[in-house]
Amino acid sequence: MRARLTTLSMVGPALVLFVVMLVVPVCLSLYLSLTDWDGYSANPAFVGLKNYVSLTHSAEAIRAGWVTLLIAAVGTVLLSVFGLGFALLVNGASRLNAFFRIVLFYPHVLSALVVGFLWSAVLGTSGVVNGWLTSKGAEVLPFLSDPKWALASLIAVLVWAGFGVNVVLYLAGLQTVSKDLLEAAHIDGASKRQTFFNVTLPALAPVVTVNLVLSLVTLLKTYDLVVSLTGGGPAGSTQTAAYLILWDSFHNNALGFGSAQSVVLMLITAGLALTVARLRARADRGVQG
Amino acid sequence: MSALRMPRVASVQFKPFKAKGWGRIAFLVVTSVLMLVPMYLLIISAFKSQQDILQHPFSLSPDQLTMEYLRKAATNPDFNILKGYAVTILFVVSVNVLSVALAGPVSYVIARRSERRYRMLLLLFVAGTFIPSQVLVIPVVYTLKFLGLMGTIPGFVLFETTLTLPFSIFLYAGYIMTIPASLDEAAAVDGAGKHRVFWSIVFPLMKPAVVTMVILNTFSVWNDFVNPQIILGPGSGLYTVTTGVYAAVSQYSTDYTVVFPTLLLAVAPLLVVFVLLQRHVISGLTAGATKG
Repeated sequence: MRARLTTLSMVGPALVLFVVMLVVPVCLSLYLSLTDWDGYSANPAFVGLKNYVSLTHSAEAIRAGWVTLLIAAVGTVLLSVFGLGFALLVNGASRLNAFFRIVLFYPHVLSALVVGFLWSAVLGTSGVVNGWLTSKGAEVLPFLSDPKWALASLIAVLVWAGFGVNVVLYLAGLQTVSKDLLEAAHIDGASKRQTFFNVTLPALAPVVTVNLVLSLVTLLKTYDLVVSLTGGGPAGSTQTAAYLILWDSFHNNALGFGSAQSVVLMLITAGLALTVARLRARADRGVQG
Repeated sequence: MSALRMPRVASVQFKPFKAKGWGRIAFLVVTSVLMLVPMYLLIISAFKSQQDILQHPFSLSPDQLTMEYLRKAATNPDFNILKGYAVTILFVVSVNVLSVALAGPVSYVIARRSERRYRMLLLLFVAGTFIPSQVLVIPVVYTLKFLGLMGTIPGFVLFETTLTLPFSIFLYAGYIMTIPASLDEAAAVDGAGKHRVFWSIVFPLMKPAVVTMVILNTFSVWNDFVNPQIILGPGSGLYTVTTGVYAAVSQYSTDYTVVFPTLLLAVAPLLVVFVLLQRHVISGLTAGATKG
């Protein structure tokens, strides 16, 4: 009995907090997504799957969905290409490499909000780059004021701020490539290129997959940077799913509709995150065995 | 966690692209310049006038530089940065202490018990890492309102702590499993209670895992924007560094004599921590990135 109480006192506090602040809210989101609640009224009406149906008709939500998927897809490819490319370049224990690794990583330390404000001061219509161009008599470039440019700028800044993490993950992966195999390939007269594609890359396969899925999951949640870099504009062209969800829930008072979008986003990210967990378990086993 | 440790091995002999010496270095130097230019602009522009920032953004001549704007930003009536630091540090410390205090014991139980229900408990906690916090905060607002904690420091700290639990428990439980149980059994024989055994025998051995979590939590609480913005809100008068920056900067977004000094003050403390503890910070934040 005493032992039971002790165990309970060790498990209880964390479990209670977790249930109150995470499990209950997630269930609340699920429930609200089936209502037309505006955030205030005392009696929200139960509307079944109506919010999910209107989600498929809402031009704004569909655009935010596509924008988010585009950011996630293009960003993921760039993060992995840059991550692996630079990992290969800064692999090795020299002091210079250590310096480069720090330089590539440092933006990740800054909050996304600050990164966005910083880049908008650099790239904005009246920002540093355009001010400099104007003073040289050149045309202003619409980095953040043209819809297509703004989306490209957003992705570029996301990559600038984030690929250092991918570099570190790939560096860790590179340490696991069998030295014996590399040596064998060398002795057998394989070229650098052949060695990379036939030995290194296959050995890195699990790390590549983990990187891809991690980047996807992170980019699908893009929010802070949108707020500070573009504010979702111009004309809503850089609104991501998370941005629209918070906007609908708190500014438009469409809490039911916002919750339906949340549930969809949660399911997608949870599905991807589960995949990564499974892949990582397999990768770790591969490393040990 | 084996794949995550920072490479320390002397793997000099292994370089798939031996992009012969100088070409590689030159390319990396150019990239480093591109990576550092925004930081360079941020730092020097904090000491320059609006006109100099726009007309000579890259120049650094001593007669352009002044402390005036930095001093103004530090004493900005809209956002008191010193109070912002104090509030944020209070949150960072509370979340870290509470997180270890809650996650430590539960991880110990999970790691030492083999019954199915404790494995299910671990799964339940780990499932929490899959919920994006930007989306979770919406229903949490109503949970906090129900508890009367909306807009309060305890409400915010409790929610931030909850966000740290899943990954902490995952990490701690995994780590404790690598500590021989014979150590705590010996202590139990000597009559120490479970709590005592955990805090005085097991906890000191968990230092590497705790350091990782403290770094991760410190950076994520310091840099968090959406949660303090929504839970504390402008009405509470409580600004963290990020929500304060948002309040101060979004209003004057083209007055760069406000923007740059404020941003510099906001990032300076974390950059100092990063420079001092690079290896720890890099491995801590990378471990956090893999939580998905």
